[in-house]
Amino acid sequence: MKGFKQHALLPTPQHDEQARQDFIGALRGHLSGRVMPGNYQLFERRVAPRFAAEHGRPPADEQEIREWMTREPYYQFWSALQRRSQELLWESVIDPTEREWSALINRARAAKPRKTRKPGSLRLDPALVVPRYHAAADIHLQPGGYHTDFTNDDVAAGAIYDKGINLYMGGALGSENDLMGNTLLAYLRERHPSHQPKRILDLGCAIGNSTVVWARAFPKAEVHGIDVGAPVLRYAHARAEALGAAVHFSQQNAEGTDFADKSFDLVISHIVLHETSKSALVRILAECRRLLKPGGLMLHLEIPRGRTPIEKFMHNWESYNNNETFSRYMTRIDLPAEARKAGFAAEEISLEEFVPKMDVAQMNYTQHFFWKILVGRKNGAQ
Amino acid sequence: MATRKPKKTARRTRQSRRAEPSKSMATPPAVPPRIARVAKGKKPQYFSDPAIDKLLWMTVTLMEELSVTRDRLDTVERLLAKKRVLRATEVDLWRPDAKSALQRDVRRKAFVDRMMRAVHAELDEVLRGNHRGAEDDPVAAVES
Repeated sequence: MKGFKQHALLPTPQHDEQARQDFIGALRGHLSGRVMPGNYQLFERRVAPRFAAEHGRPPADEQEIREWMTREPYYQFWSALQRRSQELLWESVIDPTEREWSALINRARAAKPRKTRKPGSLRLDPALVVPRYHAAADIHLQPGGYHTDFTNDDVAAGAIYDKGINLYMGGALGSENDLMGNTLLAYLRERHPSHQPKRILDLGCAIGNSTVVWARAFPKAEVHGIDVGAPVLRYAHARAEALGAAVHFSQQNAEGTDFADKSFDLVISHIVLHETSKSALVRILAECRRLLKPGGLMLHLEIPRGRTPIEKFMHNWESYNNNETFSRYMTRIDLPAEARKAGFAAEEISLEEFVPKMDVAQMNYTQHFFWKILVGRKNGAQ
Repeated sequence: MATRKPKKTARRTRQSRRAEPSKSMATPPAVPPRIARVAKGKKPQYFSDPAIDKLLWMTVTLMEELSVTRDRLDTVERLLAKKRVLRATEVDLWRPDAKSALQRDVRRKAFVDRMMRAVHAELDEVLRGNHRGAEDDPVAAVES
C-alpha cells in the first residue's frame, strides 16, 4: 500500500490485481476501524450485564467470554467477515505472484551480492522435517504456509508473504516490512546501549524482513537467519541481496540447530514463539541458551495478548480463526517460567513491555498497544 | 479419450496431452503447477446455520468483484475522456496518479461503508436502546 517499497522480488500487480488489493485494504480498514471495536461495546453493554445477571459475577476469563460472545450475531458477522477478508487478501497477492512466477524464480536464482561488500549466503536442507505445529495448518491462512514448494526453486511463498503482511497490517509494518526489526532494535539501543553483537542469530526469520534490519544496524557483525521453510528462505536470500544486506540464511529448526555452543552474542526472534508449541517453546529457549556466549542476550519480540479477559478473548481470535493455533495457549503461558524450564536461571530472565512509536492501527485488539519482549542474559562476562 | 480423432494438428495434440494425467515419470507434468488458493486447517463455522456462512462468503466475494469492476470502469472512463481511443493493453498498464488514487480511496471507503450497514445496524440498536429506550412499535402506533 502507501509507501511500500517495490523491489526486484515483488511482482508488479496489473490493473485488476491492484484493484483487488485496494479493496482488501478498504475492507480490512473498515473492519478494524469501524466493526472490530464494536465487539468491546457489545460486550460491555449487552454480554457482560447478561452474564452478570445469570451468574451474579463477571466472566472469570477469556474462555467464559468466548462461550457468550460467539453466540452474538454482531460478533459472528465481524468474525466471518474478518476471516473472509484474510482469505481474499492472500488470493489478491497469489494472482500476480503466479502470473510473474517464473520471472521471480529466475531473478532469485540469479541473486548475486554486489562486488563491493561481503556476500550473504543460502544453505537449504531438503532432509529437514517441517515440525508438525507448522505443517498441520497453514499459518495465517496463507495457502501452503511458508514451507510448501509448488515448483522447483520456488520463491512464491516468500513473495506472497512479503506483500501479504504489508496488506495485513494496512502498510503499518513500514516500507520494507521492518517495523518488528526496528522495534526490537530500538529496545536494544534504549535498554542495553552497550551491547555490541558480533554474531547475531534471527530465529524463524521467514523472508528476513527483520533480519535485514539487524544486518544494516550492525554492518560488522555476522548475521544469520534460520527458518524451516525453503521457499521463504530462497526469497529471503534474494531479497537481502537486492536490498544490499549480507545475511547468512539456512534452513534449520530453532529447536535444534547445527551452530556451535556459545557461538552468538545476540539471539533474537520477531513474533515467532506464538507460532510454535508447548514443548517446542521450551526446546527453542534451551537452544537459545546453548547458543549464547556468556554475557550474550536473547530477545524474543512477542505480541501482547491483552490485560483484561475481553482483550484476551479478542486476541485469541487469531488462534481460532487464523490458524495461529498455539497463540491461545500463549495467552496463558508464563514465559519466564518456560525459560527457567529451559535452563535459564531466574536472574537471567525478564519479561519486559516496550511501547512502539509506530502506528499499529490494524493490530488494535487492545486500546493501548505495547510489545512484550522476553529477555535472557546469559550469566558471565561478555 | 473416445472422441479423439486420429489426425490432429500439433496444437491440438499439445492441448489433449495437457488434459490427461502423466503416464510415467518420464512424461513432463501435464498440468502446469499452480499455487494453492485454499489454506490447510479447520474452517470455523460462525453462524448457527452453515448456509449463512456460505451466503456471507459469497457476498464478500461479490463485494470485491464489484469494487474491482468499478475501479476498472473508472479507469476506462478516464482513459476514454483523455484519449478518445482505447488500445488493448491500455487498461492493464494504467496506473492512477496521486489525485485519482485519492479520489478512488474515498469512493472505495464509501462503498464499503454502504455495504456494511447491515453489520452496524445491530450495534447501533444496542447503543440507541441504552440511550433512548426501546424503539416505538409502528403497529401499536397505527392501531391507537
